[in-house]
Amino acid sequence: MDPMLETRNLSVSFGGKVILKGINVSIPPHQITAIIGPSGCGKSTFLKSLNRLINEEEGAITEGHVLLDGENILSLQPEKVRRRIGMVFQTPTPFPLSIFDNMAYPLRYYGYKKENIHTIIIEKLKIAGLYEEVQNNLSMKATLLSGGQQQRLCIARALTVEPEILLLDEPCSALDIKNTLNIETMLAKLCEHYTIIIVTHNLFQARRLAHKTLFMLDGEIVEEGCTSTIFSQPQDERTAEYISGIYG
Amino acid sequence: MKNSSYLFVEEDKRGRFFVIICKGVTLLSVSLLFFMFLFIAKESLIFFQNTPLRAFLTGQRWNPLATPPAFGLAPMIAATVYVSVLATAIAFPIGVGVATFLSVLAGNKLPNICLPLIDLMAGIPSVVYGFAGLLIIVKFFETHFSFSSGESILAGGILLSVMILPYIISTCHESATKILRRYKHVSTALGVSRWHMIRYLLFPSMSKALFSALILSFSRAMGETMAVMMVIGNSPIFPKLLHKAQTIPGLIALEMGGAHVGSPHYRALFAAGFVLMFVLFVFNTLFFIIEKSLEGDA
Amino acid sequence: MNRFRRYRGIRIWLFISICLTFASLAIILGYIFIHGINELSIQFLLGTPQGFPLGIEGGIWPAIMGSLGFTSIACLFGSILAIPTAIWLVFYNKNLCITSLCHFFIYSMAGVPSIILGLFGYAFFVVTLKLGVSLLSGGLILGVMIFPFIEVRVEKSFREFPLQLVQASLALGVTRTWTLFHLVFPASLGDIASAIALGGSFAMGATAPILFTGAVLFAPVPRSLFSPAMALPNHLYILVGQGISLSKAYGTALVLIIILLALNSVPIFIRMHRKEG
Repeated sequence: MDPMLETRNLSVSFGGKVILKGINVSIPPHQITAIIGPSGCGKSTFLKSLNRLINEEEGAITEGHVLLDGENILSLQPEKVRRRIGMVFQTPTPFPLSIFDNMAYPLRYYGYKKENIHTIIIEKLKIAGLYEEVQNNLSMKATLLSGGQQQRLCIARALTVEPEILLLDEPCSALDIKNTLNIETMLAKLCEHYTIIIVTHNLFQARRLAHKTLFMLDGEIVEEGCTSTIFSQPQDERTAEYISGIYG
Repeated sequence: MKNSSYLFVEEDKRGRFFVIICKGVTLLSVSLLFFMFLFIAKESLIFFQNTPLRAFLTGQRWNPLATPPAFGLAPMIAATVYVSVLATAIAFPIGVGVATFLSVLAGNKLPNICLPLIDLMAGIPSVVYGFAGLLIIVKFFETHFSFSSGESILAGGILLSVMILPYIISTCHESATKILRRYKHVSTALGVSRWHMIRYLLFPSMSKALFSALILSFSRAMGETMAVMMVIGNSPIFPKLLHKAQTIPGLIALEMGGAHVGSPHYRALFAAGFVLMFVLFVFNTLFFIIEKSLEGDA
Repeated sequence: MNRFRRYRGIRIWLFISICLTFASLAIILGYIFIHGINELSIQFLLGTPQGFPLGIEGGIWPAIMGSLGFTSIACLFGSILAIPTAIWLVFYNKNLCITSLCHFFIYSMAGVPSIILGLFGYAFFVVTLKLGVSLLSGGLILGVMIFPFIEVRVEKSFREFPLQLVQASLALGVTRTWTLFHLVFPASLGDIASAIALGGSFAMGATAPILFTGAVLFAPVPRSLFSPAMALPNHLYILVGQGISLSKAYGTALVLIIILLALNSVPIFIRMHRKEG
């Protein structure tokens, strides 16, 4: 299976300090890949370099190659990259607009026609499992939704532009168990059509969801492989220590 | 391949155009200050070729209509400083008192009523203050103390002190609330009374803010035109507390209309303005530096 | 008991300070309100100054219109300078040194005394640019005066907009400019309007900058941008300074204060409207 996304020697530094040191990974298509590791190991930085959001921050210098379907995204325009690689953040980020306008926001930008916008919105809200709950309240302000609903809205919104890859940065860490399971169920269904990369603190979540897991430490990928293998027979000592809770 | 953060690549043509316009306007607006400075300096420098700076600053006579015309700014400089010092001396203790009261003693509701009222005070136009000053302060002096004229440095000082109060109050209140938020519960936990905390904790910690409030209010006082002009009498003589005097802003305001463009009188007024602008620039820069360092402390 | 007595000094001081402060405010506003309320009639508001000397009878309509004219131009020009500056500093500029430098210049501009602005306005707009003593000259220099005021507030509003939302928008592949126009600005409109209203009230009360750049003793309601006009604060000054009419002065002062209160309540209404929605 050809990898969807490949990084070769990806390094990122901020003002002299090196955050990512020569990352080489390949992300398989239509699977959920989890990235685990202790706080500060560079997981978020890694995600942000995949969708070029890292370039928004001052003093960030990226080196290396990130290949999306063979094309190096570091040489493409950031918007073009971000249409193909979507992102959902840790804390839900609904815009101060109605639910409908939140969803329509990227569609209007890309110039979709009015009739299509409506159809796409309903479709994505259904995929996110949110449609039934809000179908009568689409003009309600999105900030009035509960935390879990807001996060599902953000995922639905990210899906409106049909990205090939969806990045999720600890999407459930601000949510309770019920909402977390909701979202996990949704992600499991989503990977039929999308490739998913999820950063998570929650080892159980990685075990439940991911086909492949990467363990990161101090800006390097220490170990990668099939989730069940990583958790049952980690090759590297540090992986074993982290999994058994020593790092945390 | 190296990629550093850059702004323009992610924009389309329209976006790039928009950014350039914004950048241009920013450049224009910050250069306005320079532009103003240069313009006034230009006229002043021509003046200083004829009348040396020192003579201008120390000359005691101002009589543009005499032959030869006399352009001595000393009385006006003295009056401006005098009335501003007086105003600051009156307003400072009151302003600090109000700020302390609002931050320590008042509950949560009272400041919410008082602070907008204080903002209101800052919003009353200068000319309205002058009007009120004339009717209240000057009249009071004339009726109760039988001065021949109530217009004086004292009247100006009192009026000006009311005008600069809001600035002192807001600067000090801001600083006081910051300090209290950090340390009040610690002081209370030690069982210390509020008064002790005010005297031995609040004031020492606020010293930088107090100093900056002093500078801010003093420079505001010096730049004030209309209100002072209406109660100070406008006599270009050396200032005495109970007599009429004239400040630099008042001088310019009153005589500009009558000076022909390009005449020595015209240029002299510009020179006076230049002196004022320069001094205030120094003060304001000092205030800016102190505020920046206060921000750093927070 | 001992401590009580010891700190009585401080308590007295604080009490006197508060009393003096709010007493001054109450006296000033009260005086003007009481004496001016009788003057407020339709003839006063809509009439033109009459009598000899001019202004001893009649009304102040040309001054009201003139002030509105000066203030509108000031708000327009001030916002044109302030808003793009705030946009660039917050959303496009990443160099902190440049930001500090710009803040310093803008702050210094705010510290320039109003009479110096008048001086500059006269020499530059009236004489050099040959715009003459006019609504335009006066409005432009007032715009320069309120530009720092508006800029600081608009910049604060932009900085308070959650960065996370901007990032979420960028993550959708939307350009920064589009994000500004379709996400940030609509949310900040209320704050921008408040800032402009407050700037306008500041401009409307200013006498010195328009003293020789736009305001005159007597003029009809301005017909064009290039005609001189009367202004409320300047008219008040003349009425009092030349000893023309105390009662009319009270009326003028009251009208000015009422208009200013109205402008100052715009932000309050905007905030209330926002809380509902």
